[in-house]
Amino acid sequence: MRKGKRLFLAIVLSLALIAPAWGADTIKLGALYNLTGGMSSIDAPALNGAKLQAKLINDKGGLLGKKIEVMGIDTKTDQKAAATGAKKALSGKVIAGLGYGDTTFVMAAAPLFQEKGIPFVTSGATHPMLPKWVGNCMFMVPFGDDDQSFAIAEYTVNKLKAKNVVVWTDNSMDFTKALSKFYKERIQQLGGKIVLEDFFMMGDKDFSAQIARLKSANPKAEAVFISAIPNEAGLTVKQIREAGLALPIVSGDGFDTELVTTVPGAKLANDVYFSTHTYREDTRPEVVAFVQAYEKEYKRPPENAFAALGFDAVGLIADAIKRAGKTEGKALREALAATKGFKAVTGEITYSRPTGVPMKGVSIISVKAGKYKVEEVWFPKQ
Amino acid sequence: MIMTRNRLIHCALFIAGIAFTASAGMALNEYVLSIINFAGIFIILAISLNITNGFTGLFSLGHPGFMAIGGYVTAILTFPVSKKAMFLEVPPWLASMEMPFLPALLIGGACAALTAILVGVPVLRLRGHYLAVATMGFLIIVQVLITNWETVTRGPLGLNGLQPLTHLWWVYAWVVITVYVSWKIKFSSYGRSMLAIREDELAAQCLGINLFRTRVAALAIGAFFAGIAGGLWAHLVTAITPASFSLVLAFNIVVMVVVGGTGSITGSFAAAILFSVITEIFRPLEENFDIYGIGEILMALILILILIYRPSGIFGNKEPGVLSPPNKKGGCL
Repeated sequence: MRKGKRLFLAIVLSLALIAPAWGADTIKLGALYNLTGGMSSIDAPALNGAKLQAKLINDKGGLLGKKIEVMGIDTKTDQKAAATGAKKALSGKVIAGLGYGDTTFVMAAAPLFQEKGIPFVTSGATHPMLPKWVGNCMFMVPFGDDDQSFAIAEYTVNKLKAKNVVVWTDNSMDFTKALSKFYKERIQQLGGKIVLEDFFMMGDKDFSAQIARLKSANPKAEAVFISAIPNEAGLTVKQIREAGLALPIVSGDGFDTELVTTVPGAKLANDVYFSTHTYREDTRPEVVAFVQAYEKEYKRPPENAFAALGFDAVGLIADAIKRAGKTEGKALREALAATKGFKAVTGEITYSRPTGVPMKGVSIISVKAGKYKVEEVWFPKQ
Repeated sequence: MIMTRNRLIHCALFIAGIAFTASAGMALNEYVLSIINFAGIFIILAISLNITNGFTGLFSLGHPGFMAIGGYVTAILTFPVSKKAMFLEVPPWLASMEMPFLPALLIGGACAALTAILVGVPVLRLRGHYLAVATMGFLIIVQVLITNWETVTRGPLGLNGLQPLTHLWWVYAWVVITVYVSWKIKFSSYGRSMLAIREDELAAQCLGINLFRTRVAALAIGAFFAGIAGGLWAHLVTAITPASFSLVLAFNIVVMVVVGGTGSITGSFAAAILFSVITEIFRPLEENFDIYGIGEILMALILILILIYRPSGIFGNKEPGVLSPPNKKGGCL
């Protein structure tokens, strides 16, 4: 027993000694992602994307004569770990931080970067107020929730010709609540009417009560907007179609998942429209090259758009370093803020708005008989 | 008053703690400091839960609920007036108020304790598993309330951009206070009556112990310190969301109490440090070899090993001999 204890202690101590083996001549980026826990299906592909971009840049000789190193830090879907992780990255002398597909985690980490004057680039968090809340060191790769909601709202009214709309909201997340808020706003501006609002919680499995109310909505609903994340996306489509309702189902990038077709099956996955990052089914050269490189590196296609967004986050920082010619905080921040027409996988990025949210195209994708198709690409007016 | 040996040791530990706090603040980087701070907060949480779960034997899962109450109250009270106007819709008297950290913390703790009394009166009539389920219900109610009371709590997004007020001295001071109070309770007639309730309610009642009052007090004292820990937590993370105070956290704290030894203050202290530090120790392993999540697996393994070889926890229900007063070996029975 004593021997066993000693052996155990020896193992633990030796593990503790595996010190981080970073060389001094690398450009370090701190990548904060929830690689375990509830957010891992969104965040793990993003880190893979980020590491892939770093590898491609290094294969071409690196930046400013140095190699890029992406320091992946797992924050366990836990805000406390996010704050600790940010401090770890900052203590490790990173020149910029990146990460997260959800606003709440960005808000635990990014302010610490802001305090030190080091840029933080979020690859997937879409709240349009983020740069305002955090400060001038906060940069977003994706579009804001307002843009994606406006895009699908305009599509609902102008193309689907639906004026009377029912809105379902996942009430447990900030992202889904914000999405619904902006959607309702734009529908009303366009002369549409919200005939009914219904709510559910993340993890709900049965939507029959909401479906019953949807059926009896007065005036009759012409479309239903479902503000949900992937898990509920497939389920809601399945149950609405099984209940015999054929009205169009619309949503945002929470529906950008295979679950929309695999859960209901190809027959029922019909007349679904969602706005998302310009990536899925896209044929621009950047997208094709990214998908090929990802498949080569990881032996599987990119899991979702977040992989591409993580790839773009590192690309965006690398582009700014190239233009700044150095990696020091202030110069890098200014170079990032001056980004114009950067050709990212998920669309061109330009920071021209006072809000700090990039001007990016939004894809409207339709699902018909289980097939995804890009219907149009929407651009913000200002 | 004669300084007994154990008193001298206590003083020495207190001074060693101050020396550690002072030198850590200077020598260590922010990452290591934040781990130490979280370890301290978990010490407060584990020791305060130990008063409820360990001494009195009330199996409560509601600790994160009290933490959330303390955390939100403290955060709203210290939130700068300018930001309150921008983010929250609170009554004018609250909107124009900005408190220093200490009174805000104390009010946060007091609110948690008050809630504990209100909840305790009906809930503490239950025993064992039923109590565990009822306190779990309480935790869920608190979470749902915070998630939906958007004008004050900003819902699932939570409050963020709080001032980073918590530093090592605050945490150290509250750890000392928690340990001191918990120690004094354990080695007093009051603590004895709590232990008696845990062992045999009927016998305790026959000895003239007011069961109900003692139980509510145990819950409220634990809740007070949970509230304080919540306030410290909020201003360490600088953000607070309802999702942080989940059932998972409740289980983590219960595990610390069980692994340390139910009823042992030293045990809760040691287990809290063990559990907060161990996952960080495995971090380099995770990051250098791309095996994320291994820390949790190894921690679970350690937990199983401890419970196989020491089923009553690291310290049982006793305090180590050198620390406990002469003739009172710290345990009961």
